Amino acid sequence: MPAARERLTIRGRLGADSFLPWVMRHAARLGLAGDIRHADAGRVDIDLRGPVDLIDAMEMGCLLGPIDVWVETIDRTPSSSI
Amino acid sequence: MPVEMLRDWIPVALSADLPAATVLPAHTPSGILALWRSASGKLTALADRCPHRGMRLSYGFVRGEALSCIYHGWSYGQTGQCLRIPAHPELAPPGAIKAASYAVEERNGVIWIAFEPPEAPPPSLEGFQPVRSITVNMDAGAITPNGTVRTQLAGVDVLLIVAGIGDRETIAHVMVDAAASATDRIAVSNAVEGWRRTCEQLGLKELAS
Amino acid sequence: MTVRHQPMIDEWYPVALASQLPPGGRATQLMGTPVLVVADDPIRVVTDDGRDLPVTLRYGHVWTSLGQPAKQLFDIPEADQPGRRLIEVGVVRVRCSPLRAVENFLDIAHFPFVHTDILGAEPHTEVGKYDVEIREKEDEVWATKVQFYQPQAAKSATGGITTDYMYRVPAPTSSVLYKTCPARPGEWDVITLFVQPLQEDLCDVWPWMALFDDETATTDLIHFQQMIFLQDRSILENQIPRLLPLDPGREIPTRADLTSVAYRRWLKRHQFTYGAQLVAQ
Repeated sequence: MPAARERLTIRGRLGADSFLPWVMRHAARLGLAGDIRHADAGRVDIDLRGPVDLIDAMEMGCLLGPIDVWVETIDRTPSSSI
Repeated sequence: MPVEMLRDWIPVALSADLPAATVLPAHTPSGILALWRSASGKLTALADRCPHRGMRLSYGFVRGEALSCIYHGWSYGQTGQCLRIPAHPELAPPGAIKAASYAVEERNGVIWIAFEPPEAPPPSLEGFQPVRSITVNMDAGAITPNGTVRTQLAGVDVLLIVAGIGDRETIAHVMVDAAASATDRIAVSNAVEGWRRTCEQLGLKELAS
Repeated sequence: MTVRHQPMIDEWYPVALASQLPPGGRATQLMGTPVLVVADDPIRVVTDDGRDLPVTLRYGHVWTSLGQPAKQLFDIPEADQPGRRLIEVGVVRVRCSPLRAVENFLDIAHFPFVHTDILGAEPHTEVGKYDVEIREKEDEVWATKVQFYQPQAAKSATGGITTDYMYRVPAPTSSVLYKTCPARPGEWDVITLFVQPLQEDLCDVWPWMALFDDETATTDLIHFQQMIFLQDRSILENQIPRLLPLDPGREIPTRADLTSVAYRRWLKRHQFTYGAQLVAQ
């Protein structure tokens, strides 16, 4: 499976301190390299590079996230600049 | 046998109880592991929990050189690395997806595991042959302080290697002399049930006092 | 029961089969609270201190609530469709979280491994993309366009077919499955799991069906569904942790788990947490 490059734009109530470390831990659990490009209480952008099935899995995990965070939507855009 | 060796290595099963291409739950004082033997005979001990959705791997099946989880078929190799995710057959699972694996060694018919990287191999128990394993409802420490019991059962010299596996529960692996006859082995195998009852009755007396 | 679980208290749960209620009633419990299903006319459900709980008779089962449900029990229109056989499978006790029981019912990737040569078989293990939504008006989780190849999908099927599925979660511990009906193409067979939460890690599961099948004996239909469920039970009683993690924690959901993820999100949003683990351990 070839590597894809995508940006996940996560929106919701993301302000808890737990969220960013949680996101990086989950990416590591999937063996995905990710870079946080934007982070505020309402939106986190993370650039990911890897097999598309693993990026799908990252989306699944992030739709849940830690208990004190509510993810409303995740948009995905292919990125050639990662 | 030196006590230090037993502290690192835990005797979990007899080789005869784990044929090729089978998996069983190995009970230890720190919990249950999925202990399996590949089709070619290699032993692996993994944390008894599939990283997908937490199903016990000891309920899985061995096919060739891999252990598959019974729930969704995720399969694992001999270092615990995930080899295949059947729902996504085109995906090569990353090395990050794995079940923790532990040191396992087999000597003279006894299988040992170690949670920390061991400094030395497990006891060889040369001169002995295994007969069977038996669980006893008693603390290992109350049976023996040093992990072994030397006694006679049915007139035959016996070595029992014991390991605690939970609250007031112990597994004992019963060994006899390497030269013991088949008749002796059978007699010991039967007599050890009486030994267990005696232990448990003594244990109950202690509890009651 | 702690305040944390309050939202689940105001929901409907099955507690008995009306047709199998003995004259002395059925003593059971709901989320740790003992209740008695009394074989009066009409059937009543009472607590130890004599309080009468709300009661609904629907789909052959007696439903009750420890609180005050805001709406009626969810509707399954197929239950009233002429020509359907309504099958009461009977209760199975499972030592697992009621939420785990529902999540397993929503899952198809396990068919080739848990229900081998019945609902699925290797090498047909791939799970294709499907659609999942939370329907805001009904406030229910729906998965549609789900497909899976099955060697023997239903008692009325001869040979393998690609089965279409839809899944629906209309209440925190109830799930409805719609699948291709071999006897009447164009209609859906309906199979449900109504789960009674006894404790956070113990539940009574009440499967029920509304099928088009004029051939198969009722006992065979029941045995088929019981067999499938008993295969699932050996999974449900051996998952770690027992409670359903709302934070995936050490779990690795993939795209095939989309329905499970949507169910967990819906539970989280409603704070339906009885039987759930909030912080990953």
